Amino acid sequence: MKGVEAILHYDGFTMAVLGILTVFAALLVLAVIISQLHNAVTLWENKKLYLGKLRRLFSPPEEPEPMPEVQYFDDLNESARQFKLLINNMGEPFSLPELIQKAETVGIAHAHSTISHLIVSNLIVPDKNGYYRLNHEAYKRLS
Amino acid sequence: MEKFFHFVSQTGFSNIEVSSLVMLVIGLFLLYLGIAKKYEPLLLVPIGFGILLVNFPLSPLMVQPENGQPGGLLYYLYMGIELGIYPPLIFMGVGALTDFSPLISNPKTLLLGAAAQIGIFGTFLSMLMLGFTDLEAASIGIIGGADGPTAIYLSSQMAPHLLGAVSVAAYSYMALVPIIQPPIMRLLTTKDERRIVMEELRETTRRERILFPVIGILVTGLFLPESLPLLGMLMLGNLFRECGVVDRLSKAAQNELNNIVVIFLGLTVGAKCTASHFLTFETILILVFGLVAFAIGTATGVLMGKVMCKATGGKVNPLIGAAGVSAVPMSARVCQAVGQKENPSNFLLMFAMGPNVGGVIGSAIAAGIFLAVL
Repeated sequence: MKGVEAILHYDGFTMAVLGILTVFAALLVLAVIISQLHNAVTLWENKKLYLGKLRRLFSPPEEPEPMPEVQYFDDLNESARQFKLLINNMGEPFSLPELIQKAETVGIAHAHSTISHLIVSNLIVPDKNGYYRLNHEAYKRLS
Repeated sequence: MEKFFHFVSQTGFSNIEVSSLVMLVIGLFLLYLGIAKKYEPLLLVPIGFGILLVNFPLSPLMVQPENGQPGGLLYYLYMGIELGIYPPLIFMGVGALTDFSPLISNPKTLLLGAAAQIGIFGTFLSMLMLGFTDLEAASIGIIGGADGPTAIYLSSQMAPHLLGAVSVAAYSYMALVPIIQPPIMRLLTTKDERRIVMEELRETTRRERILFPVIGILVTGLFLPESLPLLGMLMLGNLFRECGVVDRLSKAAQNELNNIVVIFLGLTVGAKCTASHFLTFETILILVFGLVAFAIGTATGVLMGKVMCKATGGKVNPLIGAAGVSAVPMSARVCQAVGQKENPSNFLLMFAMGPNVGGVIGSAIAAGIFLAVL
């Protein structure tokens, strides 16, 4: 048997069309899944973040809890006194990183935030040359 | 004196036939192609030598066991093909050797691999028209996939008597990719299309590369369980490579196991090329239509590339469609060479590896369809 008759006998056209469609369908599905693979991986790697977002999406917005006022220091006088001793030892003007390093070396807790508070309280002031000085007048008023 | 004549009657000289001589010449020619021309030497050398070994008159290598006597060495080794063992093992090696990153970062190129399989089904119809049975037509059509192990696997299961001719054709055309493909690629594309520079591929993460073989086998396995022996092993080999915890197995699959299986496969395919099976008019048809299948696959791949080029506003170089016919990595290299001829600063190799490995998956699926339906 030859020619178109043979193709019809073996159902060749159906086989060919079925074959081409199956190859395309399988590879298309695979391509679609692979194209989303990196998104799925990103989702998995940041699952906590996305779960949090999802939770916020479905739960009613909560009243923000009132933030307690942050108390940097129990005693500004004591902090100022400690840093004055350090500054006297270093000499004026001084650089802030050096002061922080000294404070950490001698074991003063929360050196960064304490110095920040002293600056805000005008006890440590910039000398406009990139260095800082102790404001002796403010210090006297404090004590 | 009687013993002398008996001895003479047992030599090859007194039993030689013209057909055996022709096969010996063919075996020597394949050895020449493999060694001197370096055309697929890893396979053509053992195939050529296998042809020599079984075509000597009175060769005992493919003798079946009889009257309590053991069979020939190649007869037993051939069981690996008959039982469908070697091709899947080769696929495991291919999986362990293949980096699927270009495909993962540009998954639409899988469709180029799918388009290039149209040649398989076109040739299937042609062979039916020429009077081959459906099983034989499928075995010949699969040559268009340009995937040696798949062609061997399918023909060993469906038409073992054509195995020699099909595998010789498949490997010959794979070796001749640099000669067959470029004219078709140039014919179907314009100069401007060949010059297209593609956007750089994104880098893939290790997690993606580990997930790919797992997802790949889940999808293809569900679509076509018949393709699991080939694709399952391909994905297993790739998982060995990417998971990073079984380096020894990965190396064994890439090297020792792969090399051993290539020797057995090549030798036994050659051993199937006896004069009675090979020197037929059918073989000539297989060689001719294998080439047709391959050419159609290349053309449909390139045409699909052109469709993608238009659909993406000129971001895809259609040449990479030609790599959809498998023949890893030869056809990807051909895409690179043809593209670089038009635009020396163009590097298409990595982009062509996507459809290239997509073609491996596609041809294995096509084989699975034939196995499932016929």
